[in-house]
Amino acid sequence: MSEPEVATPLRERTGHALRDPFLQQALTIATTRFIDLRREAFGDFPDGESLRDRARAIKEATLQRLDHHVERLVASVESRGGHVHYAVTAEEARAIVLDIARRSGARLAVKSKSMATEEIHLNEALATAGVTPVETDLGEYIIQLAHERPSHIIAPAIHKTRGQVAELFERELKRPAAPDPEALTAIAREELRRRFLDADLGITGANFAVAETGTVVLVTNEGNGRMVTSLPRVHVALMGVEKVIPSMSDLMVFLAVLARSATGQKLSVYTSLVSGPRRGGELEGPEEFHLVLLDNGRIAQIAGSLREALACLRCGACLNVCPVYRQIGGHAYGYTYPGPIGILLTAMLNGPRSVKDLAHASSLCGACADACPVRIDIPRMLIELRREVDERRIAPRGERAAFRALARLLVRPAWYRLTARVARVLQAPFVRGRTIRRVPFDLGEWTRTRDLPAVAPRTFQERWAALEREGR
Amino acid sequence: MATKAEFLGRIRAEMARTPGLFTVAAAPWPARPGERLALLRRELAERWPATLERFARELERVGGVFHRVASPGEVAGLVADLARAGAMERVVAWAPGALGLDLAGPLAARGLSAVAMPEGDVAASERTRLREVAAVADLGVTGVDLAIAETGTLVVVSGAGRPRSTSLLPPCHVAVLDREALVESLEQAGLVLEAWHDGEAGPAGGASINFITGPSRTADIELTLTRGVHGPKELHAVFVEQGLARPRHG
Repeated sequence: MSEPEVATPLRERTGHALRDPFLQQALTIATTRFIDLRREAFGDFPDGESLRDRARAIKEATLQRLDHHVERLVASVESRGGHVHYAVTAEEARAIVLDIARRSGARLAVKSKSMATEEIHLNEALATAGVTPVETDLGEYIIQLAHERPSHIIAPAIHKTRGQVAELFERELKRPAAPDPEALTAIAREELRRRFLDADLGITGANFAVAETGTVVLVTNEGNGRMVTSLPRVHVALMGVEKVIPSMSDLMVFLAVLARSATGQKLSVYTSLVSGPRRGGELEGPEEFHLVLLDNGRIAQIAGSLREALACLRCGACLNVCPVYRQIGGHAYGYTYPGPIGILLTAMLNGPRSVKDLAHASSLCGACADACPVRIDIPRMLIELRREVDERRIAPRGERAAFRALARLLVRPAWYRLTARVARVLQAPFVRGRTIRRVPFDLGEWTRTRDLPAVAPRTFQERWAALEREGR
Repeated sequence: MATKAEFLGRIRAEMARTPGLFTVAAAPWPARPGERLALLRRELAERWPATLERFARELERVGGVFHRVASPGEVAGLVADLARAGAMERVVAWAPGALGLDLAGPLAARGLSAVAMPEGDVAASERTRLREVAAVADLGVTGVDLAIAETGTLVVVSGAGRPRSTSLLPPCHVAVLDREALVESLEQAGLVLEAWHDGEAGPAGGASINFITGPSRTADIELTLTRGVHGPKELHAVFVEQGLARPRHG
């Protein structure tokens, strides 16, 4: 288990989010905007649908021969003077990065936004080892100053207002800050520019790694990815092993769908292709380049029930369209990866027990699968997870008993009709109009936030039978 | 910590369980990028005016500014005008050999402080000094190895005489290109990158290739678009009709 189980129950976390009027407003504005941008981007792009198919096909084909492509990647990186490390668990990945930091005598590390480093909780480990980690993506910088975790995969600080950011800067940076995005951005530029130039260690994730050329690919809009890979003396890239792709031509297919899905851009501002350390004649670039390949539950899914989730590009499109995410935001999910895909990734990293409640935090409406640039069938796997949770007897005893009873009832029409007739009598004292607002006893929990439709005065089956008697 | 053999062993053990699980067959490896590129270049040579027009349109859509001059000799004047308009004084540029023209002299003659980067290896202390020069510069001038019309993207390859910082640290980036750099699509750019890797003569290869699509931007505070967060706030592309002097490929 790589992440600790969250102490507060899911219901409490969601309740907290639902009662926060500012969060509600921020979520609506942000997700609506992202949805519009994405729709416009694909609307103008006739090749979009076929490129999504190609992107998925490349992922499938790569995973089928993953050993070959990983071997090729390793050979290419090493032939360019880079070092490759292998981490089966989050703990091993942390140890590898700390060891590199220690051997290079690093005191200050600048980081480009990386979900993989969030996943292994690298910052805490670095700080404990005496290395100061500084996040350099503006959103990540803000939440690092606030001692929070990202609430969205690509817009980590969407839950903060300009006023809150200004207050935060004044408190943490001890300098006046006006609540204006332009002014706040200028402050961050100045503060972080010094850090880029002073840092000993640059830490990044990788959006992709091209096996054929040994190239780590980073996509950013701000330029911090370029700073982190060009200025410090040592560069460490940490990536999930499934991020490998075969060739540069394949990369172009992914680039064309990634930015459109994430922010509605045709291409993000900077796509940086880094192949090993600085070469002869270059003025800048790291003297050492390290690539850390991370398993952390991924490899077991090559043949597992969550296999499709290995194709995820971390674009965030499924978060924006999810009716649950749009209400509760990223923090309520409780783990590193929020949203529909986040539930699957959490199960992948931490086991199905970690999502026994989260697996139900979906209406299975399918919007996520429609938005996914590589067409991951997220609802199918959520149902699969619910089944797994049930089979492992993780769900409460009462819930399991209720569903077993329902299953028996649904395959026996005669019993079903009888039950409906009995329920019609028993429900009488609780029906208001056509709904039951509150069910008595232990079952009341279910109706606390929902209405239960009452059994109709005449059920569909009874009306159907009547129509047949009339000879229609 | 796992060894390479252990790690690959874990992958192979899982792969042994996958027959029948995947719906798609492995794609065939694209062959001989060099030959396909030669064919493409002949086609592009006929269509370049339309490609340039599209590039200019897309560049401006992402917040870049497009300029067109007839000869390499006019570039210095344009850079000096841009500098004056933005009250900028300190200019850094790629080495004359990498850029295809010598700007330091003409810019100095126009009253700017201009530093051209060295062509080859220099001592570590000199590297540190030059980085500081780039860090305080107002404007950086680079060449362009590929210009992608579909997205308005400038592709810049690092190497000797072509430091990464020139297009990154100064708040204003001016990129100089000619028709040789133009390609129509990302797909074509992928083919060029493959051909370079395959041994086709490419730009003096450093370890970093950057695709630049507009000025540095962020929307991390209330989704308000703000320019110039870490990289340049201003991006200019200067197209030189008569071409640049440098032997571009090879």
